[in-house]
Amino acid sequence: MDPPDDLDNYLRGDSALSRQYKRESAPIPPHALDRRVLEFSREAYGKPPCLAPLAFAASVLLSVALVLAILFGPQSAKRVDNAPHLVRVAAHANASTNAPLNRKLELYSSDPRLARAPAVWLADIAALRRAGRNAEADAELRRFRSAYAGYCNRRACD
Amino acid sequence: MEFLDEDAALMTRYRDGDADAFTRLYAHHKGPLYRYLLRQVRNAGAAADLFQEVWSRLIATRSRYVARAKFATYLFHIAHNCTVDFFRRDLAMRRGARFDEVEQSTEPEVPEYQRPDVIAEFAEQQSALLAALGALPQEQREAFLLHEETGLTIEEIARVTDVGLETAKSRMRYAIRKLKKSLASVHSAGTQPIRTRGNLKDTLVNGSA
Repeated sequence: MDPPDDLDNYLRGDSALSRQYKRESAPIPPHALDRRVLEFSREAYGKPPCLAPLAFAASVLLSVALVLAILFGPQSAKRVDNAPHLVRVAAHANASTNAPLNRKLELYSSDPRLARAPAVWLADIAALRRAGRNAEADAELRRFRSAYAGYCNRRACD
Repeated sequence: MEFLDEDAALMTRYRDGDADAFTRLYAHHKGPLYRYLLRQVRNAGAAADLFQEVWSRLIATRSRYVARAKFATYLFHIAHNCTVDFFRRDLAMRRGARFDEVEQSTEPEVPEYQRPDVIAEFAEQQSALLAALGALPQEQREAFLLHEETGLTIEEIARVTDVGLETAKSRMRYAIRKLKKSLASVHSAGTQPIRTRGNLKDTLVNGSA
């Protein structure tokens, strides 16, 4: 067995064995090997390791968005169709391309710029009364009278 | 954050996206790693393959790097695992070759680095010390190389090779004893101790005990 301090001497780096090893030739990797490793490093750097989970998360997000659009898309369109306040502006902006819709919406409009021809307006009011929506019909009639003040004096409006 | 060594800081920078940090890391460690692998497997082709494999693994797992110890322990732990895999594959190949030999009575396919003429050629290019080193059991050779090439302590060598402290110490002690004995026998033969074919043969015969 070696003396107990032989290993310690060697580990301190002052042994003849270490000195002899350090005198040996010190081969290094060929340049081609250097190039391959460094190229691989650069290629890998272009692809972050977290790319795959991110791509997966993006796919899930897009799928969920698509499903939500399919489920709620038509319903929301229907709701808009039935909501005079929401569609009023759209009807105003799109008056020439969607005449039937505009016709229906004008009935509920309080926008003076959307004032209709008196006969049309009165027909709308009569339609409201036939449908039993008297409160709305009264409100429309008040607006009609303010828009066409002299019209009701010449004709019966009620 | 404080790092145990400059290379741990470089590896952390590389992990965080600094590609240039890798170039510096590579420059620091390519020589020691190449010599460690070359002297472990004793074949230039196999060493080159392992060298690439070690760096590839380091690059692929960079996002998981945490600077808990010296960077060399991290790098050479990967290298240790690669060489262990290499020796396992090599053993399986040799067993397969023996099986085929029995089954088919034909000459087995032996990897180039195992061919006797290649081994002899490699041995003849070595000094007495390297020849004696090559004759050591693989675990003892590894302990010696890790200390010589990287300056790792016994505790760090134990961590790199996944063994207890006493096992690592024992391997190192045996490695030193056998190397000294081999070199002493070369000296006592009265020939030039280094880089002669005559004493190399003596070393290979006497130093493999």
